[in-house]
Formats: sequence, structure tokens, C-alpha cells
Amino acid sequence: MADTEAKREVEIEIKDLGVSFTDNAGNPVQALTGVNLDIYKGEFIALLGPSGCGKTTLLRSVADLQQPTEGKISIEGNTPRQTRLARKFGFVFQQPVLFDWRTVRKNVELPLEVMSESKEERAKRAEEMLEMVGLSNFADSYPKQLSGGMQQRVNIARAFSLKPDILLMDEPFSALDEFTKEKLHMDLLRLWKATNKTILFVTHNIEEAVFLSTRVCVFTPHPGRLANVVDITLPQPRELNMKNTMEFTNLVAQVRGSFEGGSL
Amino acid sequence: MKKSIFEKKWVSVLFWIVLLIIAWEIGAFIVAATKRTPANILPHLTNIIAAAFSTKQVAGKLTASEVVFTSAGATLFRALVGFVLGAVVGYVLALLMKLSGIVEKLIFPYLMLIQLIPVIGLAPIILSITGDINISRVIISAILSFFPVATNVLEGMKAVPKDNYDLMYTYAAPKWMIFSKVLIPSSKPYLFTGLKTGAPMAITASILVDTLQGDGGLGCMLSQSLKHAMNIYVFWLIVFFCAIIGILSTYVIGWIELAVTPSLRVERRTSRPGRPKKNKKALIEKNGGMNNDSSQIQKV
Repeated sequence: MADTEAKREVEIEIKDLGVSFTDNAGNPVQALTGVNLDIYKGEFIALLGPSGCGKTTLLRSVADLQQPTEGKISIEGNTPRQTRLARKFGFVFQQPVLFDWRTVRKNVELPLEVMSESKEERAKRAEEMLEMVGLSNFADSYPKQLSGGMQQRVNIARAFSLKPDILLMDEPFSALDEFTKEKLHMDLLRLWKATNKTILFVTHNIEEAVFLSTRVCVFTPHPGRLANVVDITLPQPRELNMKNTMEFTNLVAQVRGSFEGGSL
Repeated sequence: MKKSIFEKKWVSVLFWIVLLIIAWEIGAFIVAATKRTPANILPHLTNIIAAAFSTKQVAGKLTASEVVFTSAGATLFRALVGFVLGAVVGYVLALLMKLSGIVEKLIFPYLMLIQLIPVIGLAPIILSITGDINISRVIISAILSFFPVATNVLEGMKAVPKDNYDLMYTYAAPKWMIFSKVLIPSSKPYLFTGLKTGAPMAITASILVDTLQGDGGLGCMLSQSLKHAMNIYVFWLIVFFCAIIGILSTYVIGWIELAVTPSLRVERRTSRPGRPKKNKKALIEKNGGMNNDSSQIQKV
């Protein structure tokens, strides 16, 4: 513990962030307001809240997919745009967003092609990533031949293949069944430990947030704001049976409590 | 579950062919009994087939079939050149329209307009502009085939979901890569739909212009035969020949599509009913995915 305390280094600094836009009917909507958050290197942050609380907006703002209207985000002193252009983000969308005409291998190689990596390097890295997510045998299959869970694993392998510093995940497992989800949770935690990335993980599932993360950021809607941050003190590495412990139950209750106390 | 014989494709094809032959022959008997020139309206199929294999010389030293084949060469060649030209122009136009909304607003209405002018009106205009009968026919074929290609490809590119762009955006991909890695491959099925529509149109246009301007070609023989300047069965042979070529062109394009789209081959192989699945192993885990085959983006 002392070791991790010593090298706590702020990676993402979010200051007074506000995002507003006009909806289809032309009415102004305040998606997020007054968010202040420091994210440290190697953290696993869960952004938790009901729909409309702005958690995805925050994620997209960090990724430079959305422009904040107030405040600023700084990533190791750079703007989100600079960080994106330096290709330091891996973004995992809610849908797998795989290209049907590419094999699994070619899908994983896509970001490397964009980065003009050599053919050998692409092949090597794709091989490595597919091994990591346990899909080596399916490298030459097409996405439509895979189950939803397998497609999502390809999605994750693709995000890791460009060796990002920061992994941004937007409800990646929300469409999967409970068993597949648990399996992918363990996969993701293993990858996180092995690669030491900083992960921002958007979810609306309290148990998922508590089980995966080192900190849960609780968001409440109307307008979207950061209501509470809960440190998750469960030991590392996480094991599935921790879900049966008193500590887990208490943390879930604590997180749930921050909604009921808020303006939900 | 075993499929009933009537669900097999060749059975239904055969059924319709037989039905068509019966209907045709009934019609032919009625026409033969009531009209003065039955061969002009609906001759018996046997007569047409006999004409195809007849060694009787109908024009100079040529038999009916020889007349069809010799004049087909020129017409189909012009159709092919026009089709390829039209497809290339159509594709480039689609790219330009996708690249710039201004270009789309500027040229799309004119593309529509060109399509609305009847070929019969367009042919003499194009002829007087080009001054060459061959070039003008190629251009007419091109005009008829570029439109389905341009509109289908443009539609295909517009159908690319937003998250595909978002993905490329997070990779900081330059614009040309969004075209080469997303828009062009994902609009490929639409391109082939456009080509399948355009090919028979190019052939039809080529024949139609022949009939207007003379100077050899299938259409020219067609009108001569119809005016009884030549054996009337030449007309019927040309009609059947053109129908077969038109249908074949669509199939050929379908085969080309399959040849250049490995993912489509895999999809066809795994979704074909009533046959053992070759890569069953790879499919064990994927029951969900298999039902999505119908979401294949083609709409004809």
C-alpha cells in the first residue's frame, strides 16, 4: 500500500467541468456541471450513475469526442485533443463496433494500420492481444461468426493493441449476460494488472463498479454532477468470491447510499 | 428437421419455368387461331428453337443465329464499355458527393434530371455532340448505368453508423483513411447492388439506341426483322438472347462480388440451409450471431 501511495501521480485533472448542449427540440440541456476530479496513474475509476447523469458525457469529453463548455481537462499537462492526436486513448464503445468485412485479426490490427505500424509489428501485436483475451483460435473468423461476448473481447483487444496510456470504457458489458460479464470482468482486471493502464469505466451497475474499481465516482442527474467519490478498499487482485464478503456488501450499500442522499 | 422438396431453390425455379412455358404455349395457340401474323405477336416456342438451329440463310450467307451473334458483338461491346465507364464515373461522383455536401447539393439535382430525359430524346443530342455513332452509344450506356452506381454507393456511405466515425476519431485517423478503411469497404455491398441494376440497363440502352440509329448491332437487326425485312424469328432470337445476357450480367456481378468479399463467402457458407456446416467447431459458441445473417446490408 505504501508503495502505491509513493508513486501517486496525477494523470488526468478535471477542473470545474461543465458541458451543455441543445437537444433536438432546441432546448438547452446541462449535461454536466462543476465536476472536479483528479485521476491518478494506474487507477481503475468507475463512473457510476443512472442514465442522464452525464457519466458518458464526461468520458467523451476526456476522449475529445465532446467539447466541454466550462472548465478544463488536462492530461499530463496536455489537452484532450493533444492526447488524442498522440494516440494515447483506447476507447471501448458500448457496441463492439467491429468491421464485418475484416477478420478478427484484421479488426485488432485496425488502429495499428492507422498508426502505420509495419506489417510484422501489426501481426505480432494482434497475435499477442488475441492471446490475452483468449481468442487466438478465432483470429481468422469474421465478427458475425462470434457471440456477443466474444465480439466485446475483440473490441477490448483492439483497444489494448495500440498500447494506450488511458483506457476509456463506455458501458462495455451492459449488453452481456451475467456469466459472460463475470468472465470478462476477470479478464479485464487481469489485463489491467498486467499492463498498468489507467482505466475510466462507465457503468450503471453498482456491483460492477464496486467489484472492478479502485474508486467509484457517483453521478446524479438533473443536472449531471459528481455527487460522491467512494474509495474501494477491497484487496487486490480481486476474486469473484469477494462478492460474498461483508466488506463488498458494505461498499455497495455505501455507494447506493450516496444516491439516496443525493438529489435523485 | 428435413426440408420438404418444395423449399429447395431449383425446384421453385423449375416450377416457374414450366409454368411460363405452359402459359406461353396456351397464348401461342390462341394467337395462332385469331391473328393474321401470329409470328409477330407470340409464336410457338418450338418455332423459335427451330429457328435458332436452322441452317437456312436469312441475311446474305448468315443463318438466323449467326445474324444474332455477329451483331451482338458490337452492341454488347459498346454496352460493356459504357457500363464500365458509367460505373467508374458513378463511383467517383459518389465519393465527391460524400466528400463535400456542397458538391452533393450542386450536382445531385442534375443527375436526377439526366435520368428523367428519355433515351430516345437523349440519343440524337449525344450523337450531335460527339459526332461519332459508336462513341455516342457508349455514352448513352454510361449515362444509364452511372446513376444506380452513384446513388447506391452514396447511400451506402451515408449508412455508416456514427460510432464507426467515433472509433476512427479516437485513433486520430486522417480523412483519407476514413474513406479507405471505413466508407469504401462498408459501401461495397451497395456498389454491387448498383452494378447489378446498372448492367442490364446499359445493355438495354445499347440495343435501344441501335434501333434508332441503324448501322449494325442487335437493335438494328431487331427493327429490320420486325418490319419483315428479315426472317421474323431473328427478332425473337434477339429478344431471348438479350433476356439471357441481361440475367447473366447480374449473376456475373454477383459472382464477382462473392470473389472479392471473403466475409460474404463465409456468411453464405454458414447460413446455407440443409447442408452440413463446414466450420461447425467455430460456430458452437455463437448461436446469437448466426441469426443476424438477414441483417446483411443488401437491398435490391
